[in-house]
Amino acid sequence: MQNLSVSKFFLYIGLVILAILTLFPFYLMYVLMTHSATDIFSAPPPLWFGNSLRENYEALLSAIPMWRNLLNSVGLGMVSTFTALVFCSLGGYALAMYDFRYKNVLFGFILSTFLIPPILSLIPFALLVHFFKWFNHPLYLALWVPGMASAFGIFLMRQFFASSMSKELMDAARVDGATEFRTFWSIALPLVRPGLGTLGLLTFIGSWNNFLFPLVAINKRELFTIPLALRSIQGTADTIDWGAVIFGTAFAVTPLLIVFFLASRQIISGLAQGAVKG
Amino acid sequence: MKRLIAVLAIGFLSITLSSAWAQTLTVSTFCSLCNSTRPLAEAYMEANPGVEIIVNELEYGDHHNNLVTALATGEGAPDVAAVEIGFISKFVADGGFEDLSQAPYNAGQYEELFADYAWAQGSTPDGRIITLPVDIAPGAMFYRHDRFEEVGVSVDDAIGSWDDLIAFGKEVTRDLDGDGNNDVFLIADAADVFEGMIRMGLEEGQGKYFDNEGNVLVNTERFHEAFRVAKEIRDAGLDAQIGAWSNEWYQAFKDGAVAVQFSGAWLEGSLRDWMAPDTAGLWGASNLPGGAYASWGGSFFGIPVAADDANKELAWDFIKFMVLNEESQLSAFDTIEAFPSLKSLKTDARMEEPSAFLNGQQARLLYADIIDNIAGTTTHPGDVIAAEIVGGALSQVLNEDRNIADALIDAERQITRQARRLR
Amino acid sequence: MASSSSMVKQEESTFETRLFAFQRKFAPYLFIAPFFILFFIFGFFPLLFSMYLSFQSWNPIQGLGAMEFVGFENYLWVFTDPDFYKSLYNTLWIGVVSSTAQHIVAIPLAFILVLRLKQLRHLFTAAYFVPFITSTVAIAIVFNTFFGTQYGVLNQGILAFSNSAPIEFLRASSWGSWLVAWVPEEPIRWLGRAKNIKPALAILVFWKYFGWNTVLYSAGLATIPKEYYDAAEIDGANALQRFRHISLPLLRPVIFFAISLSIIGSMQLFDEPFILAGSNPMGGINNAGMTVAMYLYREGFNYNQMGSAAATSWILFFVIGIMTAIQFAINGREGLDSRG
Repeated sequence: MQNLSVSKFFLYIGLVILAILTLFPFYLMYVLMTHSATDIFSAPPPLWFGNSLRENYEALLSAIPMWRNLLNSVGLGMVSTFTALVFCSLGGYALAMYDFRYKNVLFGFILSTFLIPPILSLIPFALLVHFFKWFNHPLYLALWVPGMASAFGIFLMRQFFASSMSKELMDAARVDGATEFRTFWSIALPLVRPGLGTLGLLTFIGSWNNFLFPLVAINKRELFTIPLALRSIQGTADTIDWGAVIFGTAFAVTPLLIVFFLASRQIISGLAQGAVKG
Repeated sequence: MKRLIAVLAIGFLSITLSSAWAQTLTVSTFCSLCNSTRPLAEAYMEANPGVEIIVNELEYGDHHNNLVTALATGEGAPDVAAVEIGFISKFVADGGFEDLSQAPYNAGQYEELFADYAWAQGSTPDGRIITLPVDIAPGAMFYRHDRFEEVGVSVDDAIGSWDDLIAFGKEVTRDLDGDGNNDVFLIADAADVFEGMIRMGLEEGQGKYFDNEGNVLVNTERFHEAFRVAKEIRDAGLDAQIGAWSNEWYQAFKDGAVAVQFSGAWLEGSLRDWMAPDTAGLWGASNLPGGAYASWGGSFFGIPVAADDANKELAWDFIKFMVLNEESQLSAFDTIEAFPSLKSLKTDARMEEPSAFLNGQQARLLYADIIDNIAGTTTHPGDVIAAEIVGGALSQVLNEDRNIADALIDAERQITRQARRLR
Repeated sequence: MASSSSMVKQEESTFETRLFAFQRKFAPYLFIAPFFILFFIFGFFPLLFSMYLSFQSWNPIQGLGAMEFVGFENYLWVFTDPDFYKSLYNTLWIGVVSSTAQHIVAIPLAFILVLRLKQLRHLFTAAYFVPFITSTVAIAIVFNTFFGTQYGVLNQGILAFSNSAPIEFLRASSWGSWLVAWVPEEPIRWLGRAKNIKPALAILVFWKYFGWNTVLYSAGLATIPKEYYDAAEIDGANALQRFRHISLPLLRPVIFFAISLSIIGSMQLFDEPFILAGSNPMGGINNAGMTVAMYLYREGFNYNQMGSAAATSWILFFVIGIMTAIQFAINGREGLDSRG
């Protein structure tokens, strides 16, 4: 017994050290956001909090409309999440629960798009954006409409439906006179709530972090999402102090960290289930 | 309810009315040029109440790549686009911009107003005018007075030749606090010396990497010599090995960790405004070593073909306001030390204004003199590619001790290969 | 489906029953149609377009009208371009180094988390997973500071270690100096030296994705019935033996799946090196951090050769396909069998 707890103690020490190493860059970010550039670039660099937080905040706000950018990202994230959930769960349900012509071909086709490097579609994406007149669109149509058809989303939802819903349940609902949509909506959807939660959170995170595609679809400062705003001050260090750039970084990362710590159990278990389930 | 409708109607009406009155112009620019574009747009709007100008600013690389996407898809292009010298050859040669020599622009009449080489950079050999130069960049050496005084070397002695510079470097590069690491270096990066040397002694019809006929000039005495000197500096430990535009680069200027830096005149503005404002008065500017005169940077404005036709006339008016108007050019000169492209300004009284940042030196007269002596800087569509390939070769020589001759032969072969598919 | 509709016909065919039959027959199509319409516009069109483009010479600056059919010229160009092979080498280097490290850490880590911890398992997993959800733009800004040569925390840490008393002692002694020869005595130029860029990127990729693999393996281990371990424990197997003889073999399908994802992910690596190592020159000094995806980007956006950019993406597609197939051949058959 004594032995066991000693080995467990060392186990914990190891795990804690690994966690500290993993989280250290975040700690560093929060420390550096309270320092001026001169402090940041000194040897040894600061490892404890300083007192330039306020200056950095003001410098940041004078360079970019950060709160506006934050609102943009929140709004875009919510719309992306909601629409992706609707379309991917409908599609995933059909793929999991029905037999229809060319189903396997279609599914294989969706899966094969995983192998395609996303930047390949950058130019065609830009063409589509301009074809639909979505460039600088105030509702960001270019950024969430394509996301409704996420191959990953439909794959994940298919996995969840296939393991949670059964054909017997569908037949029972039919006998009771429920339409197919009603079966989907009232019986199947509640069963895959963990899947919906996982996909929703991942979609939100993906939308929050998306950089390359918004870069092609937006060039107005007021419409910038958080990553674009961040990148725009990173490249124009001339108007802004590096401490303020780090402040902006923390500003961009913190909301997501909060969401993650509230919902991490959901994200992690859902992801794992979707991936490991046959 | 009625009131709501009335409010909505008035709101709607005012929106449609205002959009009918105001003409909106979008201008895309990169930073740090944005620091002069923004105030000029404001000045223009003040003078022309019916016009609204939206200035879109992006990071240097993002701006130019976004411009490629806009031109490729034919839509979403700005009405006025800024192009930096590093990218100008690509846009000049490949089209996508209005030919400003044609009506209604008729820009040909302004040719005499500009420095010859800057005009040539914005036009094609067959006479199409793609962009107008807004600022030009005489290459100079910026140096710290205190670092020269400490070792008792005069600046004139150090810039007699590149070897003189190395001799000075061996004295100035040293450990100040005795911790065994050098705290002061001759220069941030040996590659900067190379950049200075390949701009030297160009003849008419020659560019940095190609001549007018498209021959690759990389395996020449000019490049061998530049590689040799850069290598000597690296091997003697005279450079701090800090790449340009990194945070450590800015910090090195703040700390006085480098004694000299070669650059365009605009570096004075950048050092003064944000890179190292606390070092005001410690700096000076001189000619490049070895009697070299070189151009180092420059920015241009043009009108994308894909821009809204209805706006092109206004776009042209705004470009003329930024480029042909002496006051505009001088204001850009004052804000970011972007040297004006208009020849007439070289005799302006403000050229004699001493620079407080450069310890009261009349640096603008020096810049004007450098401009007069710059010869031949033809651009070629392969310049961007050649710069990257030669940079790679230099890095192999500096960091991996590759033989200079082999590296240059290899670079020449690669550039020739790449140039073949440019049409 | 056909029989069910004929059954409906035999009944009294009211409007309502017909409607019911109709919706039943077409429900799957209606459910999946919106997805597929969008998918064909935003997923399939880009594919077709890039396939078409890979046989064209197109300078994007000249607009859409400037395309010209060139046959297989673009593919030939890429296959004879030394820079393509360099980018392929870089991609494989970063992929192999960081993925190997990820899986070697993640599998035992998952074993410890799932089988040895009870209360705190979730907390630790979450901590390891955080980098995975963080924006690359933000990460690059922090790591830029982290990897700094003179003032970076990483180098300061390494130097503090290097100058610590035990290391100094070993270095000074004749017998110990070879032991510590690997400890750097000068600051490392992580992003300023060609040879250090790939290791720096591999560190970043490892840091970002090892938590993801840990989560995958944890999920896989959680599906292994506890009775197996109990039985082994009764037979006197220690933790290492249980890991070796129960967890590893039964985890095989998950290992297969996780490695496949690692291959696909690392072959497509773009954001991290693009933002951290920079795009001018592409991938940092001497293109040392230029991955295939960045090579593709450079062809298209810096060199204005959209045709060869598209060809590169198809070549990359096949490379990924072949690598996945090889991995399938090695691990897959057994992996799938044991999945049952």
